[in-house]
Amino acid sequence: MSNSNKKVKTGAAGRADGSFSVDGLGITAVLLAIIVIFSFVNPRFLSTANFLNILSQAAPFIIMAVGMTFVITAAGIDLSVGSILALSTVIGFEFMSSGGSPVVGVMIIIIVAIALGLLNGVLVAYLAIPPFIATLATMVSLRGLALLHSAGTMHFGLPESVAFIGQGEILGIPMSVLVALFSALFGYFLLNFTQFGIYCRALGGNKEALRLTGVSVKLVEVLVYGFMGLMVGLGGLVMIARIDSTQATIGTASEIHVIAAVIIGGTSLFGGKGSIYGSVAGAVLLSMVANALVIGGADFFWQLVITGIIVLFAVLIGNLREGRISTVKVPSFLKVKF
Amino acid sequence: MSTKEFLTVSNLNKWYDGLHALQNVSLKIGKGEVVALVGDNGSGKSSLVKIIAGAQHSDDGEIFINGKMVSVTSPKDASSFGIAALHQNLGLVGSLNVFENIFLGREETRSIGPIKILDKKKMRKRAIELLEELSIDVPRLDVPVLSMSGGQRQCVAISRLLLDQVNLILMDEPMAALGVAEGKKVLDMIERLKEKGVSVLIISHNLEHVFSIADRISVLKNGRMVGTVSPKQVNRSDVVRMITTGESVDSDGATQ
Repeated sequence: MSNSNKKVKTGAAGRADGSFSVDGLGITAVLLAIIVIFSFVNPRFLSTANFLNILSQAAPFIIMAVGMTFVITAAGIDLSVGSILALSTVIGFEFMSSGGSPVVGVMIIIIVAIALGLLNGVLVAYLAIPPFIATLATMVSLRGLALLHSAGTMHFGLPESVAFIGQGEILGIPMSVLVALFSALFGYFLLNFTQFGIYCRALGGNKEALRLTGVSVKLVEVLVYGFMGLMVGLGGLVMIARIDSTQATIGTASEIHVIAAVIIGGTSLFGGKGSIYGSVAGAVLLSMVANALVIGGADFFWQLVITGIIVLFAVLIGNLREGRISTVKVPSFLKVKF
Repeated sequence: MSTKEFLTVSNLNKWYDGLHALQNVSLKIGKGEVVALVGDNGSGKSSLVKIIAGAQHSDDGEIFINGKMVSVTSPKDASSFGIAALHQNLGLVGSLNVFENIFLGREETRSIGPIKILDKKKMRKRAIELLEELSIDVPRLDVPVLSMSGGQRQCVAISRLLLDQVNLILMDEPMAALGVAEGKKVLDMIERLKEKGVSVLIISHNLEHVFSIADRISVLKNGRMVGTVSPKQVNRSDVVRMITTGESVDSDGATQ
């Protein structure tokens, strides 16, 4: 073999991580198509005010979807995000509305959420409980704790400085959208340009290979769920600040919304690769559909029906693309001969 | 004890629940030498390689490295002596690209607070150097290794081992799942390891490969070392006879 002169091709810059590959283009195309279609159906849809409203509604889900991208990339799942959101916000909110310092109140929300995320991580990594079961259990228990803490109580009246996170604007852009944007950029950086990001992808892609290199796989796994907790705390903060209230039932079924956003965005449910851009686009897409249904006067329950259908389609497309199901078999009597 | 041997194992014994899996097995591997280990299934090849890799313990016997007696009780011990094992599943992460795989667990990073930022430029540069040094032809550095051919993946997995100072690479059937052209890539790679002075201990059932690459061939049968021969002095049927009958041949090919 006389190939010693051959240069190793390094490919175009910026595509090193696959994050701007066809997956990202696909979800972008779908988003644009939806915008065009909805705008034709209802001209009210296409306005800057409405778009900022959509993004602002999507903000808490974008933030949580960033965290969930890490969990699913690491071949895990977190069903407890809605319950963590409820428990951390009712505790922090009560502290603030009863005269506690806003800074400490915000810290309480974030720290409680991180601690609960780490708890999930310990259950999964050190007690070897499958993520689906571990987080299903914490989903139920933590919701129970939130209800024990303040069942039937609607907390409201946040300090102005905290409400600003959800309702304020900087140069006409809602603060909630800016927080979501910052979270997404941070998540993108973390997943693609740091050691932690590589370990998340390796954990989901080939856990044994990562273990063999001497990396503490369990610690990485705990940190992944801890990071998810941080994002839930931040998303929860934005969510309660937007509506200036919280209660023990807040965030019910938000795990489905968040997981859906990540899957629609092209992150593989089988682990190993994830796209922050896709997850953000997925969260925006879901909010856009919800918004269009509201503008169109459809019943809220249709939103649930359609979210489920979109998730099924997203997974189906992923399976076809990754060749997990062979092409659909057509009975021979249906085949047309030319 | 001659010191030009890199590794010498002497009178190794291993029992599994009463089964005497290795019986006074001795083996020498010189610097930059390729030694092939052949024998039927259950002959003790994998046990021997696992003991050298530190993945298993021998019950009796000695291991010398550069003439000095050492104890290899873990893969970490082995790697401190520059002994690396190529895992059968290659230890690659399919969704990571070439240089991410090569550096996995040993990333070049800069720390900002608790966050370790990858120095991709440095890793990419070192990976290119490494691959060019070994004349490994990969389509692109930043494609997931999942999209590469089996032979290319083997080569990436081997070059991973060379990131650290390595003196001996242990390979268990590295060409088993590969086609002819792909297997050739791995053979070429072993040739270049030899040029770099890296020793290789390779288990293979494929005598054609063994004869094309090995400096010496050691034959095991039922946990006993039948003998070690040079492929220049014996032919394939001699080796087959050693494997099946357990009788050694002298350098003229006659059964002893």
